[in-house]
Amino acid sequence: MSRGRLRALGPILAPSGSLLAVAIVGLLLDTYWQYVMAISISAAVIGGALAMLVGYARCITLTTGAMLAIGAYASTLPVVHAGVPFLAALLFATALGAVAGLVLAIPGVRFRSHNLAMITFVFQAVVIIILRESKTLTGGAEGIHVPPPVIFGLSFSNDANFLLLCGALFALVILPIAVLLAGPFGKNLRAIAANENAARAFGIDVRRYLIAAFTWSSAVIAFAGAVSAPRFRIIDPDSYGLMTSIFTLTYPIIGGMGSIWGGLVGGGVLRLFPELLRPLADYIDLAFCVLVVGTLTFFPDGLASAVWTVGRRGRKPSTGSAAIPGVAVARIAELSSATGFAPPTHGGRHGADAPVLTIESVSRSYGALRAVDGVSLSIASGALHGLMGPNGAGKTTLFNLVSGFVRADRGRVLLSGVSLENVPIERRIGLGMTRTFQHAATFQRLSCLDNVMIGLGRNTVFEGTSRSIAAALDRESFRAERRTALSALAAVGLGARADDMASALSLGDQRRLEIARAIASRPRIILLDEPVSGVSAEEAHRLRELLLAVNRELGIAMVVIEHNIRFLVSLCDRISVMSEGKVIAEGDAAAMVDDPRVRKVYFGEREVA
Amino acid sequence: MIVVGGLKVGAIYSLAALGIVVIYKATRVVNFAHGAFVLAGAYATYGVVEAVGLGYWPAYAIVPLATGVLAAAVEMIVLRPIRRADIFALITSTIFIGIGLSEIYRLVQNTEMLGVRNPVSGRPIFIGDVIITKEQIWVFGGALLSSLIGLAIFGYAPLGRGLRALAANPRGAVLCGYSIDGMNAMAWFLGGALAGLAGVFAAPSSGVSPELAVSMITAGFVAAVIGGFDSLRGALFGGLILGVAQTLAAAYISSATANAASFLLLFVVLMWRPEGLFPEAKIRDV
Repeated sequence: MSRGRLRALGPILAPSGSLLAVAIVGLLLDTYWQYVMAISISAAVIGGALAMLVGYARCITLTTGAMLAIGAYASTLPVVHAGVPFLAALLFATALGAVAGLVLAIPGVRFRSHNLAMITFVFQAVVIIILRESKTLTGGAEGIHVPPPVIFGLSFSNDANFLLLCGALFALVILPIAVLLAGPFGKNLRAIAANENAARAFGIDVRRYLIAAFTWSSAVIAFAGAVSAPRFRIIDPDSYGLMTSIFTLTYPIIGGMGSIWGGLVGGGVLRLFPELLRPLADYIDLAFCVLVVGTLTFFPDGLASAVWTVGRRGRKPSTGSAAIPGVAVARIAELSSATGFAPPTHGGRHGADAPVLTIESVSRSYGALRAVDGVSLSIASGALHGLMGPNGAGKTTLFNLVSGFVRADRGRVLLSGVSLENVPIERRIGLGMTRTFQHAATFQRLSCLDNVMIGLGRNTVFEGTSRSIAAALDRESFRAERRTALSALAAVGLGARADDMASALSLGDQRRLEIARAIASRPRIILLDEPVSGVSAEEAHRLRELLLAVNRELGIAMVVIEHNIRFLVSLCDRISVMSEGKVIAEGDAAAMVDDPRVRKVYFGEREVA
Repeated sequence: MIVVGGLKVGAIYSLAALGIVVIYKATRVVNFAHGAFVLAGAYATYGVVEAVGLGYWPAYAIVPLATGVLAAAVEMIVLRPIRRADIFALITSTIFIGIGLSEIYRLVQNTEMLGVRNPVSGRPIFIGDVIITKEQIWVFGGALLSSLIGLAIFGYAPLGRGLRALAANPRGAVLCGYSIDGMNAMAWFLGGALAGLAGVFAAPSSGVSPELAVSMITAGFVAAVIGGFDSLRGALFGGLILGVAQTLAAAYISSATANAASFLLLFVVLMWRPEGLFPEAKIRDV
């Protein structure tokens, strides 16, 4: 195995390794500690599973207790009532957990924040009511006796071998979570939490990702519930109640939302307190509440990661922009050769006239307001087209119509001759169109490199999963994606900041990052919504050079909304002027500024004011 | 007769929901600690009526004041520092603040359930076959009146104008001279006071216990969803609808289905009319 492959696999195997290690260390201790260790590592697995849903996707779930109950009952009942072997029952329980997650998530992910939290709360309550009321099957509120697990004739009935069984099974089940969270799947969840619209524009189907996250984490939690049920001897619905859900929620929050480790460590450590501090049991719950609120207030990234950061304070992030225009322009040529895409046959601003984007009398009204009113526009391949007009003229709405965030009442949009009418937002990047946003919409809690890798657009749930596996195995396909993303970063002058968090960048550099993300997939056209708003005149000049170079070297057409007229005129060949939802003038960029119609709606306003 | 009982419970739900909506409208935070505020109100009622023995009239004044201050303190001390954080942190905080308050109650008061005597007693009234107790009339009337006062404050008083301005456009409100900090605290005070009143009215019939916190946040949330979450009037009707639906389900199916009925209502409204049965825009047209 090559060294690079080991380096990729190491962090992914580490969670499994540490669960096993804790179990093995436990074997050296007495039976009480073996019992405590078994509890601790099962809580660690629950925390790891919640890291996906709570830490990465930032969903509030109050259903962990119910999922544990589903796992516990679905593994116990077949063993007790039908004599099914333990392993088969365990598999059944895990599958049922996955189904439960799916059933919960399909209606649930239509909502976010408090409504989603409430739906998970309802699910939790309903599961417990069902378990309590189905007395003949589950023993009702009195509970049911759970026999020790038997695998191939071997009974795991004492604390030592039960701990070993837990260690082995949990090491196995945490592996898929570790792979997904470390790879593009986890990063896409992060992107969703950071900015759903930007995530969708780059091909991330938000609902499907959240459904997948609910399904995975529910399956793993049900697995943990099934494996740990025999330890309790008797299980009853009330030990899986709402309070279980709420206190498991503390694991990833206190541990830290930044990685799977927050959940693992949070679960493993926090679950120890109620066991080890029995005399103080009355105060533990209150202490947890104080700890959670304190953590959210003072260490939003979690206590574990706060300790971690203090330990690494020596290493400062590199500061200052590495953006040197000359270098950047040269690097763009590299990008065009590195990606392996065929160079465009008609590159540059004087490219072929076949329209890449055609807008045909598109309209959109909000009540009585006609935001976009019969707009037609044709953008030639490789063209630089400006869009200007006073605030409220409908420019951004037009962008939203083209990129799919808003549906047109009338008219249609064609991309390279293909109607976009029934193409969902997430699929439009695959057809060669990307965009930037009026308010810089980078994914804050991801590195610059990860931002651009999302820009490659291979982000369906299936692709996210398979690419996560490819990343874990350090496959050549994934290394090639990395190289492409790095060259896109280098092209915009951010090559030195690949590993820095996007949130650490200045506004101008955030705009660059957005451009890198938008060109990484080598689209045919980019929609740029106010690319230089809020940046200095000097930076605006550099961004103009960058956009011109991108256009010249990669042949990417651009439609640019901008209030900075000087910037727009010096960048674009043609300009359309919008006012009150209509295009009132279109023509050569320089000529537009002097056009009397434009002066009337645009500059006229300024004279009046 | 059942409907009358349902309306009584429903009026209390309305009060709880109203507090949630007031806080949500003004600050965009769904307060999951609201059930605990109701519990605090009920516990304070126990203190005033049973422990000190002042009777009910002082309770109606002291309790909402106390819970209002409690809510405002929670906003100022705990939530203010993280107001700029994302909604996840805010909502999670309120969940754990609620649990924490319930835990404090459990630690201070070791008994599981405290009883509070009825505010009014006397012979029930007969209207045909329907028997109505004076307590039912008292609670329904009192809770409804309190709700209407809350509505009036938010809708017409100068304080309410500030809160509505904050809801519509925080930056604009600041430019017009409203202090965001002050307004947030006021919104929480008003919401907390409404929760306290819900506690006063709930205490005699449901007793004081941590269960009250869970049932009140659930009912208040469901009632708010039925009303569209953004509408005070909607929350008022939502509470009444929920109370009647729960009581009917308990009477005609089984007592276990009372909760199921509220979950079903929540689910149906969220799936088919996420804007609620009484969306704000509709009322504005009237």
